Amino acid sequence: MASLFRWGGRARASSSSPASEPAAGQAAGSATSKVLPKLLQALGTIDAPVLMDLGPVVGANISFLGEELGCRIFVEDLFAVVEEHGRAGTREQLVDVLPAKLTRADASVDGIFCWDLFDYLDRETARVLAARLVAILRPGGVLYAFFGSKPGELQHYNRFRIEDRDRIATQQVPATPTSRLVLVNRDVNRMFDGLVVSESVLLKSNARETLFRKPA
Amino acid sequence: MWKRDEAVRPPQPAAASPVPTPQESARPDAVRQEKGTVNIGKSVIIKGDLTGSEDLTIEGQVEGKIELRNNVLTIGANGKIKAQIFAKVVIVQGEVQGNITASERIDIRDNGSVDGDLVAPRIAIADGAHFRGSIDMQRQPKTGGEAKPAAAPPAAAAVK
Repeated sequence: MASLFRWGGRARASSSSPASEPAAGQAAGSATSKVLPKLLQALGTIDAPVLMDLGPVVGANISFLGEELGCRIFVEDLFAVVEEHGRAGTREQLVDVLPAKLTRADASVDGIFCWDLFDYLDRETARVLAARLVAILRPGGVLYAFFGSKPGELQHYNRFRIEDRDRIATQQVPATPTSRLVLVNRDVNRMFDGLVVSESVLLKSNARETLFRKPA
Repeated sequence: MWKRDEAVRPPQPAAASPVPTPQESARPDAVRQEKGTVNIGKSVIIKGDLTGSEDLTIEGQVEGKIELRNNVLTIGANGKIKAQIFAKVVIVQGEVQGNITASERIDIRDNGSVDGDLVAPRIAIADGAHFRGSIDMQRQPKTGGEAKPAAAPPAAAAVK
């Protein structure tokens, strides 16, 4: 499986060959991001921003964001919920379970890190979750997400690690196999009705790294 | 004869830990003090408030509230805490259910587990750690002065 991060920029020497499926926790790559600096710039204009991370807790990200932004971060590992239901064979319940996990009040969060969560959901769950995230986001807030556009079976999750203001590394951990939800631009725009796309970069992996902004 | 003790006591290095009191010797797993750090052993269960002015390592169970405003609190690998924690530095290797506030640093190590909210200027979470809650990393005040200590800490660790 090719690494998600293939921008065409030169990967660091530590990046592994994408030729074979990596073992649990194996580093998949590290590359420059054009969107992350914009995200940090937007959040940097907010005093003590409130963030929500929908991925697993990554210590390096917590330290980085804390030092850069002096922020408050809510960790809601929805990937763990998806995996739990994947293993139990109850993915159809995710449409109710995932939005219910997000108990923050409407318009209370300045930044949301979705990573590539939407790749692992079905269309209806993605739609309902996106609507909930749009509601939670404060006017002027930003939402950061990746959308894969290459159909196929996903056999791992990507754990994203912010290495610097413009650099992200990924580490792959095994997942219960599921088909990737492929969303075209029109689908994404409909799902995130109420947000505007601030930046969108198509990666060599055919994933789109996207930054949304909620108009103030 | 006094030599009777020497026969059973293993040879001690010059800079060894303080000799435990007879009571502590009787319960080697309970409460020990080594090099200025109080150690609460894994057989100890405390329900109530725990305050002190010494570094503390907890391998047992505590339910209630822990305050070591100017000291380091270490939750050992066997420690199970259901409490609000206030300390200068908190190191978690065991399990904590409750909010943690540290004036300097919170460090959740591999296999450490926290369900609660964290407040500290610096927070480190190892990749193998479990965490669920919120993280508040307020910026350091730029006054240059030390953080104001908590009101009159007690002279020694004490269980209320």
